[in-house]
Amino acid sequence: MGDLVQAELRKTTTTTLWWALLIPTVLVALGGGLLSGLLGQSIVEVFSSSEAEQLSDALGVTPDQWKFSLLGIGRTINLATMFPLIFGAMAVAGEVGTRTITTTFLTAPSRVHAMAAKLMVYALWGAIYGLAIIGFVALGIVLTSNSGQMPDAGGWAMLALVCVLSSILMTMFGVGLGALIPNSAGVVVLLIMYFLVIENALQLGLRISGVPETAVGFLPNGSVDGLTGSVAVDLFLADAGVVPEEGVYWLRVVAGAGGAQAWWLSGLIFFAWVAAAFGGGWARMTQKDIT
Amino acid sequence: MHDGSGLIAVQNLTKQFGSVTAVQNLSFTVSPGSVTGFLGPNGAGKTTTLRMLLGLVKPTSGTATINGRPFHQLGQPGRVVGAVLEAQGFHPNRTARNHLRVYAAAIGVPDAQADQVLGLVGLGTAADRNVGGFSLGMKQRMAVATALLGDPQVLVLDEPANGLDPEGIAWLRNFLQSFARMGRTVLISSHLLAEVEQTVDQVVIVSRGQTMYYGPLDHLRQQQQRRVFVQPSDVGALATALREAGVQALEQLPDGRLAVSGVDAKQVADTALRAGVSIYGIQEEQADLEQIFFRLTSGQFAGHAPAPYQQQQGGWA
Repeated sequence: MGDLVQAELRKTTTTTLWWALLIPTVLVALGGGLLSGLLGQSIVEVFSSSEAEQLSDALGVTPDQWKFSLLGIGRTINLATMFPLIFGAMAVAGEVGTRTITTTFLTAPSRVHAMAAKLMVYALWGAIYGLAIIGFVALGIVLTSNSGQMPDAGGWAMLALVCVLSSILMTMFGVGLGALIPNSAGVVVLLIMYFLVIENALQLGLRISGVPETAVGFLPNGSVDGLTGSVAVDLFLADAGVVPEEGVYWLRVVAGAGGAQAWWLSGLIFFAWVAAAFGGGWARMTQKDIT
Repeated sequence: MHDGSGLIAVQNLTKQFGSVTAVQNLSFTVSPGSVTGFLGPNGAGKTTTLRMLLGLVKPTSGTATINGRPFHQLGQPGRVVGAVLEAQGFHPNRTARNHLRVYAAAIGVPDAQADQVLGLVGLGTAADRNVGGFSLGMKQRMAVATALLGDPQVLVLDEPANGLDPEGIAWLRNFLQSFARMGRTVLISSHLLAEVEQTVDQVVIVSRGQTMYYGPLDHLRQQQQRRVFVQPSDVGALATALREAGVQALEQLPDGRLAVSGVDAKQVADTALRAGVSIYGIQEEQADLEQIFFRLTSGQFAGHAPAPYQQQQGGWA
């Protein structure tokens, strides 16, 4: 098994895709971090003006302590993990496209071994992308806001954890779907369309049609977004003092956790999607006649 | 685990793709120490058979084993069997050396083996070039190099001459023969007998998914009866004289010649002399393997073609 893992690792490091996708990942993460920091900082400055302070004092809320930049972190992670998702999708679909999958199957004790080796290597890559994302998001925020806008060390650790987890799961989801639909261009377009357009339209449709808000949190993007978004909102609320009930709802929507369950439950829901995609892809790849 | 015999055994193998029967009840064995040609026209089921042998396609029924085991029970298949298939590809942006290192790792052989097989196929100087820039012939050599990575006991090649230049074909021929002489097994498919005639010792001939012949190439040559084409002054008189001499296999050709089977030219000429018939031309037909192959594989000759190969008793090791 170690031999196959090394072979899969070499497959990923001997072509350019890993860094070709890491560059936009880092740019999105850094850009998202900078934007979150800037927006968070300026919102706090608006609230800190004397008139606004009088108003918030009267309402009994403390907006100048609100870490708005946290909400942007969740959104940024969700957008940046699109790239490890694509990277994962190419794992099997790319090999079917270049027909190296034949040699892969001819040199592995079984297809199950080959797929298991891919699973491990792409989980590792998911983690690497995740660490890069949280690192550059943090860099962007540090550059644009003061320490009052940032979570404490425990908060950062929690964000790093869910970011890496989200990135690994997104990569795995890609691997599964790429095996289920082994057509590079087709699966990449489908995934981008789904995560950026289709599900957002679906979420909007569900909200308009009056379906309970929580339904959104069971969709693939709704759940993976909830994994990071819920943590961002939790961290926000922990330091926010008094926040009105209606405000919490909008905070969750802004953070990308609208309708989502608690972070760990959202993670489990998305894990179920990943298991379904991976199981389907696994079944397809272990049964398929390679012709 | 496998028995290390180097034996390929295909038994009652059948594959149906939907309503299409690609391979029907195919049986043959391939022994180590020889190069066996796997011949048949396009669409005869050769590629499907080889893919079933290599575990890439699941048989509808029957078995295909290497060293007594189906492919997925070989343990480390890359060390037992190397394959050159049309369906194999390369990542265009990966270098030749890196491609081989990927699979050297998978098979569990040292990285140095990558450079060794590159040298063996004559691509040593192209090791750091991306395979995407390779010619068809170079890619075929790469495929052979990949197949040899695990120093396998058995080589299976599907139409490997495609894309190879004459020099490459000559190289492959010598290589396969020396490989077989080391006591290893080579199975090579082709739709052209002439292409592999000089390479192979044994042949398996398939047509429409069935085995038409399997055995030594020399036996196939001997199986073919010699024919003599003769242009006599009087066809009727010569035919009568030959029948009286006990030769029954006569055929009058449209061009006025007489085709006589089972005798040599001398016998025909002597008979003609005794009958007082002049001979304007006489020609002895050599055993033309391509023609035999054509008769075995072409539906047009259904009346002449022998029945599909019947398995001999005790023929299986």
